[in-house]
This record gives sequence, structure tokens and C-alpha cells, in this order.
Amino acid sequence: MTFRLTCPVCGKRDVYEFTFGGQERGPRPSQEEQDAEAHYRWTQFRLIPNEPQEEWWYHGQGCGIWFRTTRDPRTNREVEDGGGTR
Amino acid sequence: MNWLRLRRLWRPAPLKRHYEVVIIGGGIHGLATAWYLASAHGIRDVAVLEARYIGFGGSGRNTAIVRANQRTAENVRLYDEGLKLWPVLTRKLDFNLMFFNCGNLNLGHSEAAVNDFRMAASTHNYMGVRSEVLDPQQCGELIPGLDVSDRPTFPIHAGLYHPPGGIVRHDAVVWGLAKGASAHGVHIHEGCEVQGIDTRNGRVTGVRTNLGAIGCKRLGIMAGGYSSAVAAMLGIELPIHPLTIQAMVTHPMKPFLHHVFSSGAYHVYANQTLKGEIAAGAHMDPQVNYTTDATAYYLKHQAEALTELMPALRGVRFMRIWAGLADMTPDMAPIMEGNLAYDGLYLDAGWGYFGFKSGPVAGKYMAEYMATEERPEILRAFQLKRFLENRYSGETAAVMKYGHWD
Repeated sequence: MTFRLTCPVCGKRDVYEFTFGGQERGPRPSQEEQDAEAHYRWTQFRLIPNEPQEEWWYHGQGCGIWFRTTRDPRTNREVEDGGGTR
Repeated sequence: MNWLRLRRLWRPAPLKRHYEVVIIGGGIHGLATAWYLASAHGIRDVAVLEARYIGFGGSGRNTAIVRANQRTAENVRLYDEGLKLWPVLTRKLDFNLMFFNCGNLNLGHSEAAVNDFRMAASTHNYMGVRSEVLDPQQCGELIPGLDVSDRPTFPIHAGLYHPPGGIVRHDAVVWGLAKGASAHGVHIHEGCEVQGIDTRNGRVTGVRTNLGAIGCKRLGIMAGGYSSAVAAMLGIELPIHPLTIQAMVTHPMKPFLHHVFSSGAYHVYANQTLKGEIAAGAHMDPQVNYTTDATAYYLKHQAEALTELMPALRGVRFMRIWAGLADMTPDMAPIMEGNLAYDGLYLDAGWGYFGFKSGPVAGKYMAEYMATEERPEILRAFQLKRFLENRYSGETAAVMKYGHWD
């Protein structure tokens, strides 16, 4: 089953209009604050438990904004009414 | 009427409270590891825990294609040994795995792809694996239904032909390994979902499941697409994204397609199963998830790709569509680790969409790793630390690339 995501501008749209942007992980650590290993860990290593996560999406085939939403990887659906935020 | 009596291939076993080795995941990797532990290393106090039923995950959802024409030498060596294992396993397990070495033809649709083919074939031949570059006319002779004219949107420029590859009946592999493991005393527990992992003083001590706590000395995480969720129970971050990949079959037809063919540009691979269906697939949904959701979107795309490459398939109907999980690493090579973060914790994951063809050989070496506690030499290329040292495997350069992941 395909599903829909809630774009803050366009409302609920088919997921294939969007590009997945990965987990929300806070601001990128500055180069001064971390060594190479910490950098590689930050860029590639993830904790993906069986529970909803906040993540980034890009509405490339719509209004073209990046936004955040919370989605459950067990169902693919946004939690509650989703409500993407910029 | 004795022959009519149904007999289970693997014996039901009582759930003990402690095992020497517990393996999470009753798929091909977990069952193969258990079978090798019991049959080759004499470690029979082994339990395989499966949350659903054995073969529920990727083991029963892949398109059953096997081959050894990967891009890098380390991978070719491992997969080549895996490819040669199918006939051996058929004998040893006394179970027909229906290995059909019909050969794989990968299609290239650009000058860059042709160059890639030449380089890949050189690697394969250097590693002693049969592989050759064909021109479009030879592709057409090999697979008469292919449109090798300039009509397709992306005309066929060349093919990379790998004769020793083919298809294997994936359910038979699961059942055969379960039968073999069970005969050697391995306990297979279906409907046993791991909900937590216990550790003490830096050592794994057991798992908590819906059927109670089970202690163990060594624990193997071999849960395929679900491995990252299992590792997350211990707070272990991995460079793995679980993504769904979709596959589908048409209605059965007379045999006319005698090879596996695939195309990176069209994002399609297809073969005719022994039942006569065209099994096709390749697509990967981009968002991390643990579902097995299939979508009409990819059904349409597969229909377009298949009918453009093989116009005779127009009008043929898809009969079923399904999806399974692929545990994707950034460099398209697996992670096989021992004593990961905790003593006694083993991980065999990150196989992406290559988990089926690698199952038995991965099980062989993971069993050796768990039995001897020493990393087999062939697994050195697949350590987790390569991602922290920026020493990725070159496997992403493979010509058989599909989907958003690239």
C-alpha cells in the first residue's frame, strides 16, 4: 500500500511526490568539535528502532520545500495527524 | 498409504532456558549458521529464534537469483564459493534445492555501462569466474525475445553474460536447512520474538522474548532487514538502512526465457521460474521502514520496463506482488562481525538485496567465527570498522545497480 505524507504547504500528497531526507539528527557537528571517526559515525551510523522517528522529506514534485514529520517505520504512516513542520 | 502421511521436516523442540548459542532470525543466514555450527563444528546446543515463521522475511521474498559477478575481488571470492555450494548443499541436506544454473545476462545501455562491463568481466575472469561481454546481436541470440533494435528508450549496447549463475528455489533452501539443522539437534522456535537483549559486565547473557527469557553464551543477530531494529535494542548504531524492495510474478507461460536478464538502467531483473511465471523486481522504496508494503506505482514501472525490453510480454498479466526488506549499507557490502560492542555478540547483516545468494556461505563462515572465536580470513573485508576508517568496499561500482539507493 502506498501512503500519503502531510506537506505543510500542499497538504496530504502521495509519498512518491517526495524524496526521503533521512532522520532528524540535530545540527551537524562542526569540524572543529569532532575527529574523523566521529564524523563518519555522524554521517552514516543510525539507530533505527521499531518506533516512530522524526525525519526530513523534500516535496520535489510539489512546492519544493524541505520539512519534518514523524513517521512510524512499522506502518509507514505518519503518527497522529502528522502535521509536517518546516 | 504410508507415503501420504505428512511428516514435518524439522522436529518441534522444547524451549530450554539456556543455550550455548542463540541465533536471532530463522532465515537462510540464521538456519545456515545453525546447521554449520551443529554439523561442522559439533556445537549442537543451538536455538534459532524466529518471530514469525521460518523464511517469513527476505529468505522467502527474494527473486531467487544467484550469481557471483560482483564488482570487487573480496565479494566475488565470497559469492563464488556461495554459488558452488548449492549442489553441495543439495547432496548434504538430501533435499532438492532446484538449483538451475541458467546463467545471468546483465544489459548495458550506455558507453559507460559497456566500459563497466569490460572492467567487471576482467575482475571475474581474474578471480576464475566465467563472465564475458556480449554485443547486442549475441544478446538477442541468447534471449530471442529481447528487443536489441534501437526502438527502446535506452537501446541495448552490450550484455555481461555470467553462465554459472541462475536461480534456486528459495523456500526449499529454508526448508532444507531447517531439516538439516533440526536433524543435528538444533532447536527452531517459531513465533518467538526477541524483545530485549541482556548483557552483564560487557558480555551478552541472553535474550528476552514473548516466550520468556533465554540465556546464551553467544548470540548471533542474523535478522536480515530487521537486524538494525534488533541492534537498536542494545543501542548499537549501524550504517544500515532497512528498505523495502518489491517483486512480482506474471501468470505462468510455456518456457521461453531460459536465462536471468537484468538491466540497471531500466531497474528491472527478470527470470522465468520453473512454474513458468516471469518473476521480476528491482524496486526499492526510499524511506526506512519495517513493513512489507507493495505499491501499484512499481507494478506499473515494472510493466513498462519489461514490455519495452521484451515486447512479447505485452498483454501478460501480473498475478502477485509482494515486498521484502533489504538492509542497505553505504558500500553495498555486508557487515560480519564478532564480539561487536559486547563479548559473545555476533552480527551478520547489511546484505542489502544480496542476502539470498550469500546465505549458505555466510552461514558457513559465521559458524566458523562463532565456533572458533577467530575471524575467518575471508571475512576480513567485511568488518564494521571500515565505515569508521573511510575504507569502503568498491562494490557500489557494480554494474548491477538498481533503484534510488544508488
